[in-house]
Amino acid sequence: MFHWLEKNPFFFAVGVFVVIAYAGIIEILPNFAERARPVKGLKPYTVLELAGKEVYKKDNCIACHSQLIRPFKSETDRYGQYSLSGEYAYDRPFLWGSKRTGPDLHRVGNYRTPDWHANHMWDPKSVVPESIMPAYKHQFTNLADLETAYAEAVTVKKVFNTPYGKEIAPGKAAFEKYKKDILLPEALKIAKAMKRDDLVKMVEQGKVPEIVALVAYLERLK
Amino acid sequence: MNGMIVKALVMAGVLIVATFVVVKQMNIDLSDPVNMITFLGAIAIAVLAFGVSAKYMQQMKTDTATGELAEDNWDGIGEYKNELPAGWSWSYVGTLIWAIWYFLWGYPLNEYSQIGEYNEEVKAYNAKFEKKHKNADQKTLKAMGESIFLVQCAPCHGDTGDGLSGKAHDLTKRMSKAQVLGVIKNGSHYFKYPMGAMPPNLVQGKDAEEVAAYVAGGMKGDAPKAWTTCAGCHGQDGTGNGGQAPNLKAFDDTLIHNVLTMGKKGSIGQMPSFVNRFTPVQEKALAEFIKTLSSGK
Repeated sequence: MFHWLEKNPFFFAVGVFVVIAYAGIIEILPNFAERARPVKGLKPYTVLELAGKEVYKKDNCIACHSQLIRPFKSETDRYGQYSLSGEYAYDRPFLWGSKRTGPDLHRVGNYRTPDWHANHMWDPKSVVPESIMPAYKHQFTNLADLETAYAEAVTVKKVFNTPYGKEIAPGKAAFEKYKKDILLPEALKIAKAMKRDDLVKMVEQGKVPEIVALVAYLERLK
Repeated sequence: MNGMIVKALVMAGVLIVATFVVVKQMNIDLSDPVNMITFLGAIAIAVLAFGVSAKYMQQMKTDTATGELAEDNWDGIGEYKNELPAGWSWSYVGTLIWAIWYFLWGYPLNEYSQIGEYNEEVKAYNAKFEKKHKNADQKTLKAMGESIFLVQCAPCHGDTGDGLSGKAHDLTKRMSKAQVLGVIKNGSHYFKYPMGAMPPNLVQGKDAEEVAAYVAGGMKGDAPKAWTTCAGCHGQDGTGNGGQAPNLKAFDDTLIHNVLTMGKKGSIGQMPSFVNRFTPVQEKALAEFIKTLSSGK
């Protein structure tokens, strides 16, 4: 039937193009629909939260925890509303994960408090007796890398138009100002809510331990 | 019988003997049907593998090709014009028709929706849940209500329902004196009861204090004189004239349903609406539990 097509490379190529282009259009077009845009009211991560996200990546939380609630009743009963693609708009990269040795964390901010996290990261068995999670005591002394997190915010603002305000601007001076005016008060609030004097003292001295950044990030997940 | 077939039978025989040796060596119990079937299968594979190979090798040696050659040939290699098998042709045409349907209609217009399936899953579960607990006894309802309360209500009202020292309504009693005074002062038409809006300042000053103390105290003893003003709508016993006005004496199903669906804005603060958060059975269970908080049961 298509004998003539086999003898005409040009028309054969046109046929192949038409078939692949059609499939491409119906696969790609839905991604421009409203439901694939950032969800309403979604704010970009603050620098402190970004620093916490770096800690999350560095200490490889993703190896045991996912951040994607699938639309099954068994999951929404336990973790809350199923995840929407628009919620990950400012996640670069997203940390969906594919392994649940521990629970999903996509909405952990809804049902845990900084105080709980402080006890849990210091000694998981103190709050969850059957837990097999290791303790992360080093996060209470190591300092979070705020410069890198700030640079990341500046970069995504410039490259991807992430809607940060004027406070995120290039340069050392802008960073110092942001740190003093916005970042440290935010960290102090978290540290106080964690109810540990050593953390509060560190933040008051202008040093942000990794755990404070991480908890700020976890609190943001809701 | 020619040489090829003999060779094949010998090879198959060798394999069968090898199988027997293995069975003997490993002491395999052939009375077990699974072992017996496996054993017979091994013999069948040996016979078939060599038998079929021998048949086709024989055919390649002796067959000569006949028929009409097709026009095309590739560097001197031609092919015969063979009839296409009918089943093959029809399935090819069928696939083409299906492909056109799937291209233009089947995929783009009937895309599978995971959320749709989720919604149906939840709906089916809720229907099953409603059916199972349609005639649940008091004990089941109370336990169910308690577990719902601990998850959905306790964050503001506290584990014991005491309202966490004024953070939310203290559910262990109907109303506090301050709350009654708040309603008297501001009036209320929050829940749209049939009796209509309650105007502000119907009773004032010392009368209001007395009424508030009487209502907050659970309506024990003699009613103050000003109570007659209230009784006009709320009933002499304060139970709300059978749903015409809010029940001031105790929490009842109507009141709890109203608060859950509309939320509440009062002197303490604002409670969000929980509409569509509970199935009818869950709401009934919750009401059952909340009523026990204040009745001391």
